[in-house]
Amino acid sequence: MDNSSAKRRKLSSGPFVPIGTSSTPAASAFADATEELLLDVQQDYARPFEGVDDILRQFKTTIEALEPQEPAVISDATKKFEKANDIRIPYPNPRPGKDSPYKLAFTRPAQVNVVGSYVTKTMIRTQAAHAIDMIVVMPADLFQDKDFRDLRYFYKRSFYLARICAGLKKELKDAMELSFQYLHGNELLPVLVAQPAKASRKFAIRVIPCAPENLFPTSRLWPISSSVRRNGNNPNEAQAPTPFYNATLKAESLYQPYLRLLTTVGKTCPGFKDACILGRVWLQKRGFGSDLSQGGFGSFEFAVLVALLLSSGGRKGEPLLAKSLGSSQILKGTIQYLANTNFQKKPAVFGTYPSDPDAMRQDGPVLYDAMRNLNILWKMAPWSANLLQQFAKWSLAGLKDNSMDQFDPLFIIKVHDKSQIYDLQANVDLPLATQTFHSQDCHGRTWNFSEKLYHILKKALGERISLISIYMPKADGWAVSAVPSVAQPGKVSVGIIYEPTSAFRRMDLGPEAEQKKEAVKYQEFWGEKSELRRFQDGSIRECIEWAKDSTANIPKQIIRYIVQLHFGLDEQSVSLYGAEANISPADTHYFEAAKESFRTLEHDLRELQDLPLHINQIAGIGPELRYASLRLPTADKYVQPIEVVISFEASGKWTDNLAANQRLKIAFLLKIGQSLEDSKEEIRTHLGLDQAEHDTHNLAFLDVVYDGGFAFRLRVRSDAEEKQLEMQTRNKQLDRHAQTEAATSLAIIRRSYTNLPLHTQTVSSWCTRLPSLSAAIRFTKQWFASHKLASHINEELIELMVLQAFLKPFPWRTPTSAFTGFLRTMHLISRWDWPEEPLVVDHSDSITTDERSAIFARFKESRKSDPRFNRIVLFVADSHDTTGTTYTRNGPSRVVANQMIKLARSVCELVRANGDLKLLFQPSLKHYDVVITLNPKALKSIIREHGASKQSQYKNLLGERSHAVVLPLAETPVNVLLRQLRTQYATVLVFFHGGQDDQMITALWNPEMDQRTRKVEMPTSFRPTENGDTLVVDRTSILAEIARIGGDMIEKIKVKSAT
Amino acid sequence: MAEQPASSRDEFLTLPISIPPLPSFPVPTTHHIYLRRNAKVLTRDDKRSLFLVNVPVDSSEPHLRSLFTSLVGAGKFESVTFESEAKAAKSSIEPAQALRLASHQKKRKREEEEEAQRIKDEVAAEMPSTWTRPLHRSGGSAVVLLADERSVEIVLKAVKKLHKSKQYPVWGEGVGDKAPALGSTWLKAHNKLVYPGNAAMQAVVDAFFTVYNRKEAEAERLARELRNEPDEDGFVIVTRGGRVAPARMDEAEEAKKKMLERQEKRKDETQNFYRWQLREKKKAEQAAFLKGFEEDKNKLRAMREKRRKVQPDT
Repeated sequence: MDNSSAKRRKLSSGPFVPIGTSSTPAASAFADATEELLLDVQQDYARPFEGVDDILRQFKTTIEALEPQEPAVISDATKKFEKANDIRIPYPNPRPGKDSPYKLAFTRPAQVNVVGSYVTKTMIRTQAAHAIDMIVVMPADLFQDKDFRDLRYFYKRSFYLARICAGLKKELKDAMELSFQYLHGNELLPVLVAQPAKASRKFAIRVIPCAPENLFPTSRLWPISSSVRRNGNNPNEAQAPTPFYNATLKAESLYQPYLRLLTTVGKTCPGFKDACILGRVWLQKRGFGSDLSQGGFGSFEFAVLVALLLSSGGRKGEPLLAKSLGSSQILKGTIQYLANTNFQKKPAVFGTYPSDPDAMRQDGPVLYDAMRNLNILWKMAPWSANLLQQFAKWSLAGLKDNSMDQFDPLFIIKVHDKSQIYDLQANVDLPLATQTFHSQDCHGRTWNFSEKLYHILKKALGERISLISIYMPKADGWAVSAVPSVAQPGKVSVGIIYEPTSAFRRMDLGPEAEQKKEAVKYQEFWGEKSELRRFQDGSIRECIEWAKDSTANIPKQIIRYIVQLHFGLDEQSVSLYGAEANISPADTHYFEAAKESFRTLEHDLRELQDLPLHINQIAGIGPELRYASLRLPTADKYVQPIEVVISFEASGKWTDNLAANQRLKIAFLLKIGQSLEDSKEEIRTHLGLDQAEHDTHNLAFLDVVYDGGFAFRLRVRSDAEEKQLEMQTRNKQLDRHAQTEAATSLAIIRRSYTNLPLHTQTVSSWCTRLPSLSAAIRFTKQWFASHKLASHINEELIELMVLQAFLKPFPWRTPTSAFTGFLRTMHLISRWDWPEEPLVVDHSDSITTDERSAIFARFKESRKSDPRFNRIVLFVADSHDTTGTTYTRNGPSRVVANQMIKLARSVCELVRANGDLKLLFQPSLKHYDVVITLNPKALKSIIREHGASKQSQYKNLLGERSHAVVLPLAETPVNVLLRQLRTQYATVLVFFHGGQDDQMITALWNPEMDQRTRKVEMPTSFRPTENGDTLVVDRTSILAEIARIGGDMIEKIKVKSAT
Repeated sequence: MAEQPASSRDEFLTLPISIPPLPSFPVPTTHHIYLRRNAKVLTRDDKRSLFLVNVPVDSSEPHLRSLFTSLVGAGKFESVTFESEAKAAKSSIEPAQALRLASHQKKRKREEEEEAQRIKDEVAAEMPSTWTRPLHRSGGSAVVLLADERSVEIVLKAVKKLHKSKQYPVWGEGVGDKAPALGSTWLKAHNKLVYPGNAAMQAVVDAFFTVYNRKEAEAERLARELRNEPDEDGFVIVTRGGRVAPARMDEAEEAKKKMLERQEKRKDETQNFYRWQLREKKKAEQAAFLKGFEEDKNKLRAMREKRRKVQPDT
């Protein structure tokens, strides 16, 4: 939260009650679930750490028994030591000069102690590595007052560590493998890691030398002090503060104070320990850890933060969290604190202010523990602090959303999945070792490079992005006898979240030409890309226009350009990862045109005076009118018209017979058509016949074609029809069959006349509110089409799934690009356990708790009555339709649903491994029994033919119209063919087809249809076998039939070879 | 098959047909139709008809005609009725009123002339077909009407002989242009047939309502008559409506709805009035709360189970 204004501060400093602490059932369920989780993740200390205590004791005695060594000049001591032992002293960079005058010595440690999560018992099972930290407090008499300066302390520390290493090596022989490692990736702090030689034992002991308490006065190590002076040649620069160095040094003497803090808090607050474990899980799922490459905020920092929140933090020093809270409540409170505090904007201070508030000022995030004088976030970079706050915010949003299952997003889902978080990922090779990034502080080269990269990218991308994050490679350990590799070859990876409204803007505006200084700076930053232009408002400015490129969108272009410009890297060293969809958010204007044309139609219809009934509503139901059709709506005459529903005022003029009402509808349509043609010159209307199975179903539609414009398909909604069907379903006198039939008809009618208009409205309004939703829906539809699932899954169902991924993005934020939206949908699908749970999309926030439980009850009921999923497979309810079956009544089947889940899982895996994105849309045809290749030419000829029907017979038919009449396209030929095939072979073949542009129809044989003996009432074609009476499915003759039906439309029928 | 005893009426004979290969599926195939005498003998025609099972999906009258011609020579085949045609029972287009009353009234003998006009009207009111050549369900049946009863015997004999000679008739041979082509021409024609023309459709609808209105008028007249006419047992049928005209069904519905609403309203008014009502309400709320809690517990349990099952993302 922005705490800048006084008023805001007043408001926000009210009683700090963590959300979800009220005793609602949901909250208690959450607490229960966390308890369950705690049991689940609990580390078993007995077995894996068997004998560890003995080893630790052995370490302790060995270290305490080490021989002291008299002071010697650094170069001599180093030489002597390295000669005597096969160990290279792990000095930090730059290594001490040969002529350095200071002396090294060794005396027995002041204390040897085990600290960390092993002692506090806050380890969890799923941790990547279990490390036991043993600190060795170096005696104060080894150091001089000036040792805080110029890495001297660290040289001495390294030597001390090497001595310990030598001692342990002698003692342990081959029982343990020894290696050096940078503590948390901090190049100033090498530590000794001892691992059991046996690979079966998976723990490591880290021996960490540290300073005694209060070794250096606090005043020397304020964040703004400058302690490293040797690097700079420039006297001015020499004064630059070295907050990282100072904090590292400060933290060296704070191991024990923090251990004390954690123990005291743990004693007074019963929920503390469990809260720390929960925090560890929460951080782990988000990829955070104490290591610099993991963001520098791990379980230790979390525990300290919780401890501080439990003891102080309020405006008057009162604790922000009560000690009586339970573990899950403490966690929620902490997350809330993390979400609401921007550590970079304003330092957060716990305890009384240090004498000079300016003393804490620095670039990075600050969370200052005034008691111990340390910035707890000293290891965090600006980007990781930002990311942590975002994670906390997203988690909080999930927690506030009560209807969601709060638990999974918080603890179960692996949040740290870059492809799910970021719209665009970039990998940048570290430049060659010769290129240095000068910095006074001692972060290390990778950090310095990352920081520069961060600032440059942030500046270059500006408003186009809302978040940028950098991941540094993790530093490896090295053998004690080896040299640490100075420049780890590796890649820095960058993750970027777009700001969807401006990410793809083509123009970047710079300063006006008159502002000379700024203009020069701008040119320097952008190089030759920047140019001077005069704009319409008369201003002359620096600006950059980015080209439209189908292979790389504008953010990609910018990253490539700017990284190459500023780091002199070549093309290969920057690799970008993010799908390049041919679907762009800029396609909206096609949809706008369709909507505009629809409004014209609406206007024209409402203008009609001579209709017998008043028009109540004209609703578009085609996906073109909700920004959701895969194919862009065009005024092309070769496409199917856009579907529209007209409803009239309630009237007694409808008859009481269903079939007669259908004819009345036709009469209505004809009347509308006549009136429209009479009133507008440019309108042609054509009454078309629906493929109705029964004449009580809707029989006809009216295609309204605007000359050179869009075409619409009108159907009439009759309230009488609905009433009559409803009556039939309730009529106990009717037989069962008639009743179910009426129920089915009613469901179909409700779907197209009640649900679809509402659905269209909802999706269309969400598409205008969420800029990348439309593209994400279309992207997802494309995926469904390319995997041939499109013909089994309703478009509306796909739209609802994508919408759900957008509205309930927890634990991430709402997707900001089509690709992320698609991946989230895949993630949603891959985790959807459809046999056990319904999908409830509450897009209007209108489903009450009662309704929700009613939906669940209905779901349970349907599962109970249909346990083998023969009728209802997926159960999807939304705000408008709580029956749950409206969009899943006619598919997918169980086979297809499983296939969908399987494919979605493989998409998630592929993207997680940064696999080739082209594979996303490559269907596998291997598992289909039959592959029918269509002839695109023949299909096209069908579409063209009807358009160019200039034959005289049509002139006759249509009477006085003398010129050629172009008929609309009733339905795409492939769909007609497919429907015919499906009707004739319903029992034996399942057909798959991917929508309009797909040139293949594939099919699977129904394995349950195999043999029979009876010849009457055959479900499909059977042939006799050699042995007696059994008949088997005559697959060859069925395929021959299909070949005959398809004729010239089918190029080839391929059958899977029997294996 | 050939060795099956042909004497039994119910036994099917197998009629193999060789299917010429097509470029898209170059596999020579044999299709098997199973046929027997028509078992259901209800009319005179049934005696001279054959019952066929598993007719090819793309069968048409010319196809079967040429098939039978190749079997037993020309002139034996009269017509065919496919399963789908037989089944396509139209829903009644009688007004609801007429349906209700039909059971109470003996059919009036109609003038033959009038009857013919009616049939003509009803044919005119039929929806036009959108297919030049409708397909049939795979494995579907058909009834073939032959010239006379003797032809049935001849056909059955010819089929039996076929198994010895192995000279199977070829599907589609000699059909030529008599059956409309499938493939793209078929779909092209379909797209045209979907749009029969507005004027033509107007005629169809008009014809329909000529029929429908007449029926409605008849039904109304009938209802009026029945109001005062005792039946054989001397009872008078009670019909809806006032003295002037019988009521429409939907009016009755409307009235019922209104009554229910009124009852509902009265119920609302008397709620939360007595103390026991409030007490009951509180109790119900508490129960609902407990139930919700239980449900959450169950959900949690289910979740736990599931997590064991999936264990994702670790």
